[in-house]
Amino acid sequence: MVLDRRGFVKCIAGASAGIMATPLPWKLLDDVSIWTQSWPWIPANVRGENFVVRVVSKTCPSSAAVKVRLVGNRPVRVLPDDDHPLGGGVSALAAAEVHMLHSPARVKRPLLRGPDGAFMDISWSKAAEIFAGKLKEAGGKSAFICGDETGSIAEVISALAKGLGSEDVCLMPSEGQCAAKAAELMRIPGQIGYDLEHSDYVFAIGANIFESWGTVVRNRRIFRAATPHPDGKTRLKARFAYAGPVQNNSAVLARPWLPVYPGMQTALALGVANILIAGGRTADALDFGAFKELALRYTPKKVAQITGVDPKGLESVVNALLAAEAPLVIVGSEFGQGAGAAPVMAGFAVNALLGNINRPGGISLLPWDEAVLGGASSRSRLYANDLAARVGDWAAGGNAPSLLVVHEANPLYALPGAIPAKQAFKNIPFKVAFSSFLDETAEACNLVLPVPMGLERLDDVRTPYGSGQSIYCVSAPVAQPSEDVRPAADFLFSAAKELDLKMGAASYEDLLKSRAEGVVKTDFAALLAGTGAVSHEKIKVPEGYSLCPAVLEKNLMQASAETSFRLAPFVKLNLGTANTGIPPYNTKTLRASELEGKDMFVMMNAATTAKAGLAEGDAVTLEAGGRRLPARLRVFEGVMSDTVAVCLGYGHTALDAFSQNKGANVMELLSAVPEPATGLTVWSQAGVAVAKA
Amino acid sequence: MSANKDFNVRWGMAIDLDKCTGCGACMVACQAENNLAPVADASNKLRVMNWLVVFELSNKKPFPDHELVYLPRPCQQCGEQPCATVCPVIATERNEDGGIVSQIYPRCIGCRYCMAACPYHARYFNWFDPIWPKGMEKALTPDVSVRPRGVVEKCSFCHHRYMAAKDKIRVGGGSVYVPGEKGRKHSAIPEDGYVTSCAEACPNGAIVFGDLNNPAHKVYRLTRGNAHAFRLLERLGTDTAVYYLSSREWVRRLGDNYLQDEETQKPKRILPNKH
Repeated sequence: MVLDRRGFVKCIAGASAGIMATPLPWKLLDDVSIWTQSWPWIPANVRGENFVVRVVSKTCPSSAAVKVRLVGNRPVRVLPDDDHPLGGGVSALAAAEVHMLHSPARVKRPLLRGPDGAFMDISWSKAAEIFAGKLKEAGGKSAFICGDETGSIAEVISALAKGLGSEDVCLMPSEGQCAAKAAELMRIPGQIGYDLEHSDYVFAIGANIFESWGTVVRNRRIFRAATPHPDGKTRLKARFAYAGPVQNNSAVLARPWLPVYPGMQTALALGVANILIAGGRTADALDFGAFKELALRYTPKKVAQITGVDPKGLESVVNALLAAEAPLVIVGSEFGQGAGAAPVMAGFAVNALLGNINRPGGISLLPWDEAVLGGASSRSRLYANDLAARVGDWAAGGNAPSLLVVHEANPLYALPGAIPAKQAFKNIPFKVAFSSFLDETAEACNLVLPVPMGLERLDDVRTPYGSGQSIYCVSAPVAQPSEDVRPAADFLFSAAKELDLKMGAASYEDLLKSRAEGVVKTDFAALLAGTGAVSHEKIKVPEGYSLCPAVLEKNLMQASAETSFRLAPFVKLNLGTANTGIPPYNTKTLRASELEGKDMFVMMNAATTAKAGLAEGDAVTLEAGGRRLPARLRVFEGVMSDTVAVCLGYGHTALDAFSQNKGANVMELLSAVPEPATGLTVWSQAGVAVAKA
Repeated sequence: MSANKDFNVRWGMAIDLDKCTGCGACMVACQAENNLAPVADASNKLRVMNWLVVFELSNKKPFPDHELVYLPRPCQQCGEQPCATVCPVIATERNEDGGIVSQIYPRCIGCRYCMAACPYHARYFNWFDPIWPKGMEKALTPDVSVRPRGVVEKCSFCHHRYMAAKDKIRVGGGSVYVPGEKGRKHSAIPEDGYVTSCAEACPNGAIVFGDLNNPAHKVYRLTRGNAHAFRLLERLGTDTAVYYLSSREWVRRLGDNYLQDEETQKPKRILPNKH
């Protein structure tokens, strides 16, 4: 048979028609395209039944109420809980919480430091034996640091310490502690709350209310509800003003943002008080006369000299406060810690002048929650212990405890560099860390006990600082722990039993149930289902309350450091906390202008940059108190004059690749001094020298 | 392939820049919902996958007159898609009621023409296989397949949530459409029945999601005849489904490449009647 040209063409045409008619090549092509994208190392979707469980985040400092979506028994998403008083959206930290359950930084099993200095795995029974032995040995020479100020775990630790004969139980420094100290000195027997829900104009001085102050997610939900979208027709009423050194996440929404030098909240609040008093406002405090005399000295002109604030801008904000039906002034730290009690007192005085104490939209005086366990210290009592001062004592050597137990706290990273925490740790023979993550503090301990994360354990939240009403929430575990962990509370109850110490409850669940049913008078099962128990009870404004003018005056007299520039640390929740480090899912949220490789950027405005003889992108060194910090410079016009803005959350040396060796820890630069007349250690005013590296 | 099809339903967003604090919660929620892998060092932004990026805008004025605004940028879900026009394998198209521009991963050959064509830089190429730290793959959602190295991906307006919302109606025996005005049909999905992950996460309510064609939806009211609404690169004619709201003139002006002396166009003139 001869294949001629015609035959060849017929054959090709036939083959083409055949190929077009059969689905085989298309099917094969489709399969190939799928096969080439389905490699064994690419994870496949795993289906399952969907559930949603309501919890309150123990990881996010804002105590955000969220819903966790589970597929089968796997938590896969954190979703907002709009119906909860602490909910209404998620923070960047809470949104990453389910992935942090599997973080490489998790402590996977109990670790004991061996004779060679390296950690070795031990069993829980061995860990319990060592822990009980060390507690027995140390007795009253035991000290405790608790990183959870809202949970009942602090009470468990306190009860255990009492049983051992120790009073050394400290919470990590916080805004809540400063406010508690202020309330104590003002003779107010309650927790200061802020009724943002009913306020129509808020002036935040220092307090970064949309990122790091109080119940952030709740604050933002309230802002959402109160602020309409622009429609091009109606003139939107300003509802929020902010005074601070950096154009941060709160300042960006403020109308106006009043730039001030860092750590000047007290003077600025007195400036507000001055204008209010000059306008005839009074307060019924016992020492109002002395306060008035002090405030009248802080004229807008003088306040402008001290704080750098524009007097006209300040007067316009005060006029807006006076025009509002329910004005509220919130004074707090620019970075969530270390500001002391005086700013809170000054803020309280301004609110008293506005007549909004215990009024809708003003300051609410909430009853303190009392301890349930016999012998345990209440939360207000625990706030009175100043960790920074204790650590200083321990470092000096004289009063160092024999045993230190650190619960979900990272003092070696989170305390200012001027506080010799590392030296204190060296002076303590045996240290124990209850931690979910192998952070800087856990790495420096002798025994590391892994605890479940908030989503894996039963825990509670008692009225977080900033809330305008008393609230009690219980979080049920939503997932089986992914590591060999045990809840710290259960472990401590067992240790107490071992030592024959009476704790006043059989278990942590027992304690939470007693609080729910005995104190809060709410059904425990309902709380477990995720509904918070809200109480609108307020304590009366005490007749003999004080505005503490003498304390304020002493604080205002305190000279700031003589250095070229002022340091303004600020917080962003997407960088996590000292305990968590940067969550794996959050590294992408860092802009190129914030972090490049290992270099973090600090910010100065153009005029300050020129004054320092620097230029955009320069490698610089910040120096304070003999401590140095490398960074690169970003020129950013949203920073107060003569001020260097530095973000907290960088510079972890422990944890995992998502956090380690990214930038430097600005806490290292901060000096710590006792706040005059209150004794609290403060670190909100720091000078810094900036030089080209 | 690229004709601006007029659908009964057109899902869209109104992003209120007066409300965004730039916190990044939307970015994290987006990654978690759509199974994007984490990376330890995300500073090389040309290699990092992000379906949603929050940009920082400045009025460029010196201190103290400086103003700052954050702008979240998902895929703009164009009516006239520059990306679909150039795709040689029809891996991306806009062919379903709802007007969402699809991205069909198994079809994608990784040529990246669409990335070059997208004026919003909303498309990302998988330069590397996605890697989760050991155990973290357990937190993957079952709704979105994991994409391998070599394909382009982008925001899908959480399309799987749209499908789920429609399925829910079908399972209940209902129709996915209800009669609307002027002979149109509207989606039977309630306004809060289908919301993207980013819009859902934002505590400030800065992202409003809904049907741009449905007068009952908030997003319709916010975008029609609103002098404070604008779209990115409006004059390019891409007819995007993502609108931005800002009461500040300088922010609206940054929405397009206006010449120095050129007047910012009035939104009512530049916004077309159709959505």
